[in-house]
Amino acid sequence: MVVAVTNLTYFLAWAYLDPRANYVGRRPPLSEEQIVNLLEPRDLYDGTPLLVRWWHWFSGILFHWDWGVGPTGQSVNEQVAYRMWVSAELMLGATILLTVLGIALGVYSASRQYRLGDRIAQGTSIITMNIPIVVAALGLVLLAIAFNETVGTTVFYVTGSSSIGVSGFFPVLVDTLQHIALPTLALVLIGYAQYHFLQRSLLLDNIKSDYVRMARAKGLTKQQAIRKHALRTSLIPVTTQVAFSIPAVFTGAVLTESIFAWKGMGQYFIETITKNDIHGVVAVAAFGAVITAFGAILADIAVVVLDPRVRVS
Amino acid sequence: MTSRPIPLNDPDAGDDTTTPGSGHDAPERKRLTKWQLYSRRFARNRPAVAGVVIFALLVAFALFGSFFAKYDHVELDFLALSDPPSPEHWFGTNNSGNDLYAMVVVGLQRSLLIAVVVAVGTTVLSALVGTAAAYFGGRVERVSLFVIHFLMVAPTFLLLAMMSNDSGGDWKVIALVLILVSWFFQARTIWTMSLSLREREFVHAARYMGVPGLRIVLRHMIPNIGSLLVINFTLGVVGAVMAETGLSFLGFGVKLPDVSLGSLIGIGASSISSAPWLFAFPAAALTLLTVSMALIADGLRDALDPTSAAGGRA
Repeated sequence: MVVAVTNLTYFLAWAYLDPRANYVGRRPPLSEEQIVNLLEPRDLYDGTPLLVRWWHWFSGILFHWDWGVGPTGQSVNEQVAYRMWVSAELMLGATILLTVLGIALGVYSASRQYRLGDRIAQGTSIITMNIPIVVAALGLVLLAIAFNETVGTTVFYVTGSSSIGVSGFFPVLVDTLQHIALPTLALVLIGYAQYHFLQRSLLLDNIKSDYVRMARAKGLTKQQAIRKHALRTSLIPVTTQVAFSIPAVFTGAVLTESIFAWKGMGQYFIETITKNDIHGVVAVAAFGAVITAFGAILADIAVVVLDPRVRVS
Repeated sequence: MTSRPIPLNDPDAGDDTTTPGSGHDAPERKRLTKWQLYSRRFARNRPAVAGVVIFALLVAFALFGSFFAKYDHVELDFLALSDPPSPEHWFGTNNSGNDLYAMVVVGLQRSLLIAVVVAVGTTVLSALVGTAAAYFGGRVERVSLFVIHFLMVAPTFLLLAMMSNDSGGDWKVIALVLILVSWFFQARTIWTMSLSLREREFVHAARYMGVPGLRIVLRHMIPNIGSLLVINFTLGVVGAVMAETGLSFLGFGVKLPDVSLGSLIGIGASSISSAPWLFAFPAAALTLLTVSMALIADGLRDALDPTSAAGGRA
């Protein structure tokens, strides 16, 4: 499926992006011959039949793991190799945090259904879930700037993923945390609520079930019954949901990276589209498909761990 | 809580499943029509009512706000560059002298228009494909499900960005592309629900009476998932607003001289510490729009769901 999606994106990218546009309107104007000479060695010349171009590109990946070059000649491999870790850092941290927070809040509000705590948590969640990510991220930037001014030093950095000239393990760790805090917070803020609602409704269904009543009748406290019996069953659908929400996290990461000026895959996505970098666009699509598949595999593993009825053969 | 006796509404095919208690066991109780029941249940949900009020105010602002504007949204006031909010420019101005109030009005119109068009298109398309796939079965079902599953793994946001960037910022193209990349999740849900619907007696009855297949889908199946469609529509508005503003923020959506809330926020983002009002006003309008619509969807879900716990005392 990943291969099919990547190839489809290749053809769609050719339909909508025109690498030639980068050279039209340059001063001094380039002759047709010069443009062809620039594009031809990069497999971006539209005079070559599409299938020939495609085979060049596809066989390059198959045999040399070479994802081609952009219109300015920089290697897609190098770009992606650096950027994917920047993005992975942000997305992994945010996904773990928002899942844990959502599940914890879901358990909290399910065990206090319709009481004050539940109502407040639900009211907050429905608002945060529907704040657009752009507004959330920029709002956090404003708050952080105000906070930095009150404290007097730069606690939160609002641009970039790391500072230049920081070395040593602990300084680097602190520096990374200062940079990663805000974008992660923005992603968590808008993402946690869906797990809150899902976990709450699933857990409520399970709390009313016979086996939880049985556990209570055996003498377990309500807390124990929820933790040991109801929670484990209701976690299974939530983990499947996590896998399918990874593309949404990626979309959110595109916007957060552009706001916080992180040089990650999301920013690469914007750059490649504006520069008509076809090979780069396809690499971004492939990255998206790979992390979706990765999420699906992780979810399968989690289900096997949680659900004793599923046996691995 | 007043209720007046009303004749039962026509037992039209499809509508009867959601009509409340038949009343044979308690003849002295006064009956409510379906819509009275729904509106009463909706009105009991205070956040949902607040959502309706906010949404109505926003629509009024988008429609009539320009009557109060002192400037046009493309008009430049060179004596007021990057001015904070003042009596002259209520929401301030940007660095080329555009009046932000006029721009927010126009941007809100544009965002709302795209959102409503996309939500209508998505709901109609998903309802038709979902129910038709379930009713006709066989090849129709296989092909539709294949398309749906393929789109589910495709990098839709990327395709969306490429296509709308290529269109040069025409809102009609953006709306069309947004419909194309957002209908399939709903279609899959509707297909799942319609699977049980197609085995119902009234569908069989219609089929054996010789009603053509397309009419069964349109007259008997789609009205039965009406409540789901209403909820999908409101959630579709939220999703479309978010997608459109995200695109416009990145510069792939609506482009100058046309403005939307997303492109306004994009302009405001570059000067967020020196001119925060450029960000604050469009962001507030956008957040109010999405949150109010979500509250409405939540209230509708409680009001329309016959098994909802929130509807105990109608």
